[in-house]
Amino acid sequence: MKELSLIAVLLVLMVVTGTLALFLKDLLASIILFSAFSFFAVLIYLALGAPDVAFTEAVVGVVSTTFFIAALRRLKRGCSR
Amino acid sequence: MNRKFGTIILDTAFRYLVPFILVFGMYVLMHGEYSPGGGFQAGALFGIAVVLGRLIQGEEAMLNISGNTAIILAGIGTFIYGFIGVLTMLFNGNFLEYGAFPLNMAEADRHALGILGIEIGVTICVMATIIAIFDALTRREEW
Repeated sequence: MKELSLIAVLLVLMVVTGTLALFLKDLLASIILFSAFSFFAVLIYLALGAPDVAFTEAVVGVVSTTFFIAALRRLKRGCSR
Repeated sequence: MNRKFGTIILDTAFRYLVPFILVFGMYVLMHGEYSPGGGFQAGALFGIAVVLGRLIQGEEAMLNISGNTAIILAGIGTFIYGFIGVLTMLFNGNFLEYGAFPLNMAEADRHALGILGIEIGVTICVMATIIAIFDALTRREEW
């Protein structure tokens, strides 16, 4: 029961961060929120007992955040309008 | 990144952090069959160590692999994977059937050795691919 409520809270946080990352105008804030989304996914995988998947997700989250920010530097403006 | 933006704090943190990342990557690679992890995760950790150096110290980083070298290394990693697979076929086995190696050891040990060789190839390929993507994203172009 305790684990179920923990997973429910993490799922709600994932939905909130994912939706916010879609609708924010500032692209840097979107990237950081996407990184938070990935981190909540890591915690859910750990709670469900899949440390291997969680490890992969953590590593891929860090790498993709770096790539997104490196790509953001190439854009003229940091906003999607 | 082409120009560095590191201060002395970032530089010192980098010097203390990167050896631990490299050792952890090696641990993840070597203990892939007993604990979570494997070739992909180890390669991503090595790639993160190199990308961190590029971010903090710029082009003249201590630990640097250029984009062209990275693409060659990715090819070498894929070649290691395929070579071990074909090598087992030369010893009358199927593709990647590690038990076919004519080594004087137990079947499980031969499997562990073959899987370790495959994972080394995957590690080199993933590390080099991450560095190549990062280099392509941050390359300065003339226009």
